[in-house]
Amino acid sequence: MLDRDGGLLRGTLDVLILKALSWGPRHGYAVAEWINMVTDGDLLVEEGPLYTALHRLERNGWLASEWGYSDNNRRAKYYQLSREGKQELRAEVSSWERYARAVGKALSAASPAQA
Amino acid sequence: MRRVFRIPFSRGHIAREVDDELAFHIEMRTQRLIAAGWSVDAARAEAFRQFGDVTNVRDDCVIMDQQRERAMSRANLFGELQQDVVYAFRTLRRNAGFTAVIVAALALGIGANTAIFTLIDAVIVRSLGVSHPEQLVAIGDPSRVSSMSQGSPRTDLISVPLFNDIRRSSRSFSGVLASGRTGRLDARVGDAAAELEHPRGRFVSANYFTLLGVGASRGRVFDGREDDNVGGSPVATISYGYWTRRFHNDPSVVGRTITIQDTKVTVIGVAREDFTGEIVGGRTDIWLPMTMHDALFPNQRILDDRMTSWLLLLGRLNPGVTADQARAELIPLISRSIVVNAPAATANAFTAGTKTWYIGSGAKGFSRVRATFEAPLFTLMIGVALLLCIICANVANLLLARGIARGREMAVRLALGAARNRLVRQLLTESVVLAGLGAGVGLLVAWWGSHALLVLAGDGSAIPVALTLDMRVLFFTLLVSCLAVMLFGLVPALRASRVELASTMRSSAQSLAGSALGHRGQRAPLGKLLIAGQVALSVVLLVGAAMLVRSLRNVQSVELGLDRDHLLIVDLDINAHGYTGPRLASLVHTLRDRVAEIPGVSLVTYSVNGIFSGTESNANIQVAGFVARAPEDSSIAYDQIGPDYARGIGGRIVQGRDFAAADESRYPAGIAILNESAARFYFPNGNAVGQFVHFNDTTAMQIVGVMADTRDHQLAGDPDRRIYFPYVNTDTALTTAGSLRLEVLTRGEPAALVQQVRKAVVAVDPSLPIDGVDPLTTLMKQSISQERLVARLATSFGALALLLAGIGLYGVMTYAITRRTGEIGLRAALGANRADVIGMVLFDALRLVGAGIVVGLILALPSTRLLRAQLHGVGAVDPASIGVAIVVLGISAVVAVLIPALRASRVSPIVALRAE
Repeated sequence: MLDRDGGLLRGTLDVLILKALSWGPRHGYAVAEWINMVTDGDLLVEEGPLYTALHRLERNGWLASEWGYSDNNRRAKYYQLSREGKQELRAEVSSWERYARAVGKALSAASPAQA
Repeated sequence: MRRVFRIPFSRGHIAREVDDELAFHIEMRTQRLIAAGWSVDAARAEAFRQFGDVTNVRDDCVIMDQQRERAMSRANLFGELQQDVVYAFRTLRRNAGFTAVIVAALALGIGANTAIFTLIDAVIVRSLGVSHPEQLVAIGDPSRVSSMSQGSPRTDLISVPLFNDIRRSSRSFSGVLASGRTGRLDARVGDAAAELEHPRGRFVSANYFTLLGVGASRGRVFDGREDDNVGGSPVATISYGYWTRRFHNDPSVVGRTITIQDTKVTVIGVAREDFTGEIVGGRTDIWLPMTMHDALFPNQRILDDRMTSWLLLLGRLNPGVTADQARAELIPLISRSIVVNAPAATANAFTAGTKTWYIGSGAKGFSRVRATFEAPLFTLMIGVALLLCIICANVANLLLARGIARGREMAVRLALGAARNRLVRQLLTESVVLAGLGAGVGLLVAWWGSHALLVLAGDGSAIPVALTLDMRVLFFTLLVSCLAVMLFGLVPALRASRVELASTMRSSAQSLAGSALGHRGQRAPLGKLLIAGQVALSVVLLVGAAMLVRSLRNVQSVELGLDRDHLLIVDLDINAHGYTGPRLASLVHTLRDRVAEIPGVSLVTYSVNGIFSGTESNANIQVAGFVARAPEDSSIAYDQIGPDYARGIGGRIVQGRDFAAADESRYPAGIAILNESAARFYFPNGNAVGQFVHFNDTTAMQIVGVMADTRDHQLAGDPDRRIYFPYVNTDTALTTAGSLRLEVLTRGEPAALVQQVRKAVVAVDPSLPIDGVDPLTTLMKQSISQERLVARLATSFGALALLLAGIGLYGVMTYAITRRTGEIGLRAALGANRADVIGMVLFDALRLVGAGIVVGLILALPSTRLLRAQLHGVGAVDPASIGVAIVVLGISAVVAVLIPALRASRVSPIVALRAE
């Protein structure tokens, strides 16, 4: 889950962003806060790459953006999932679950299987 | 806070937005930290620390946003374009008739131009497909392909010894190659039972392929050593086309033997696929080493003969040498070679230095077709260019009318909120689609047209020229048509769309029509101008066509001095079986007697060159008391003829007598007949009979008769000076006859006797090849095929122009009358009768046509001057042609206008007023 530099694996960050936006539009800072919250601050070592990822996902057509005003009435860029983004999130979640189940099963195996 | 990262303003809105976004993040984080008890400065520093490398992140974001933006605008544009194209097609389909007319007109214009330019490119412009064609220099007249001249040394054709002199002595060239006719090849592929074939061959020097830089696609080409051993290289290289046609690309052809004139020749290879030889417009199937000539044709030993000229030469210039330098070196060299070796009088002609020298660029190879069709092709080019202008005017007119009609549509769409530039783009798309369809169909027209032209020009069998459609011309004509379509489709529609919406929608298209078509004659109406222009250009085309047709008729009806309707010409190949001397004499007499027995034949005589046969002999004569001012003065055409020749061809002896049977056994022959031109030229006092001439510096001949001039080789131009000797004679100073033509004078239709004459010849010698049995009228027609082709094409261009002008006139007048329905109805109500209305409409239209004709005549006078070289008996200003053009145009105009005029005359006052 962490690459050698201690940063997040790109795919993981992408799917976390998609998840963060699954409840509705948020600006970048809110996405960062949500990730920090749900991961207890362990995953986002630096916040900069989050923005690179947001812009990349937008370019790929998974996110749409719009300028709006934040709670404290500042101009902020809000992201939301596009139709393709929602599909992507579903696909990522299900593949992640399959992967986690498989690894979990392997790690909890009681005895070596017959070759 | 805005300028947190000090980003230069010029980076654009994307960079600014990224900056704002990142600034917002840092700001929020800083606030959060301050709220958690950090000092302002520390909070800020911590916020940046947590963010990481700001510059990098920012740049990455900008790059990705830019990519996104580009992709989006591309998609947008593409989407709209797709929409426009779909819409354009839908609109065009809805007006299928209109679309068909425009596409057909454009296709004709684009197709005709591309076809003619394709031919011009193939025949006149394009260089040979060999390496560095620009280094090649032609020595010999490029149009004398497959000619052979016996009797005197020449510089427009070269003999083998002269070629060897040039090759040995010239320093200008890295190499010189020669190629010459083979005559007819009798080839058998396979055993002796195989059927005889006649592939087209060229004798070439052994360095032919290496000097041109042409390789083999199978086997090998001549490597340069084939000439080393005269008569000892029975090998052949065949062309790719022949390989495909005759051998179906069978690779085993390399190494096979073909029997040519009873000699076994081995095929050593197939030349490169795109190489068709140095003759443009001629097909070569098989190349044979030049030094094999005498071995293959033992009856014609010409390899060592300085008096037989039959080669065309191509030299490859050494680096740094120009064609002019080569010419300067060659002229004295060739002169010296001829003077040293030729008889004295001929040599004098060369030292006089007035002979025409054919030494110039050889990049385009040799071509008789080019010489014949160069002028006609340029004439046709002018014709199709005019046609394109007319077509553009016509298309413009149609579009103009429609553009006005669409003004309302445009206004409505603008009112509904369509962007004007979007509308413009859509109209442009429509124009391009229209022009594109025209070009697409035009491409087919061009492909078909250029091949059809080659067939027409070749009188049935296509002239073999490799055609590649000239894309430059296609694009040019496409561009011109696009411009015409856009300009005249777009401008009126746009102008219309700019008109105030409310008024347009209320008053329908009336005010718009007024602005483009001239409302009550206030200003020059574009539509009418276009019609007048079309008429003017049609006049130019029609006058030109009429002049060409009249010239052709002059040529066809020219007095020949022979019986054109009762002659059958039989062309026999006596070389194939080596008929010479007494054998030839007996063959000729037997043939004559047999053919003369056929019922319906009144007289049979014979000659070497025949009448309209395409072959001709020339020689020098000297006349005592006659001083040649120019070398050409000594030059005379000659033929060898049988007894009663003048009577046999329907000619006339004006002085002295015809040859008699007894003349054939005189020894030495020593007698000759002159034609009137020659008699007048050499004996101005009219005392030719009884005088002596010296033929080719040696033989003295006494003139026994003078024959009336006949046009027996070409219809146009003055008859040549000509001298005749007996065909059968034992005098070795005269060349032995190389060919035989029988002139058969018939009592009825000569074509009816063709089969019987063939049978009679076969009965004498079944293996004697018959090259043709044709009525004279057929041969004459072939001799003017080029004139006929040009006249025919010019006439069809003229007819097309006429049709288009008629359509345009009809369209414009119909439209004008529709607009004036109210006025006409009012006139009718006030007592105008039908004749008045018709007269009014006709007068309106004819004023337009009259203006067009006047302008057309002014344009025609200088343009038809370009035709001068191709006209016979028609002056540069030809009132008859002009009259014909005006009458034809006038009648068509009246017909085109009469329909709308009649319709107008039937307008009922009530209907008309209601419409108002």
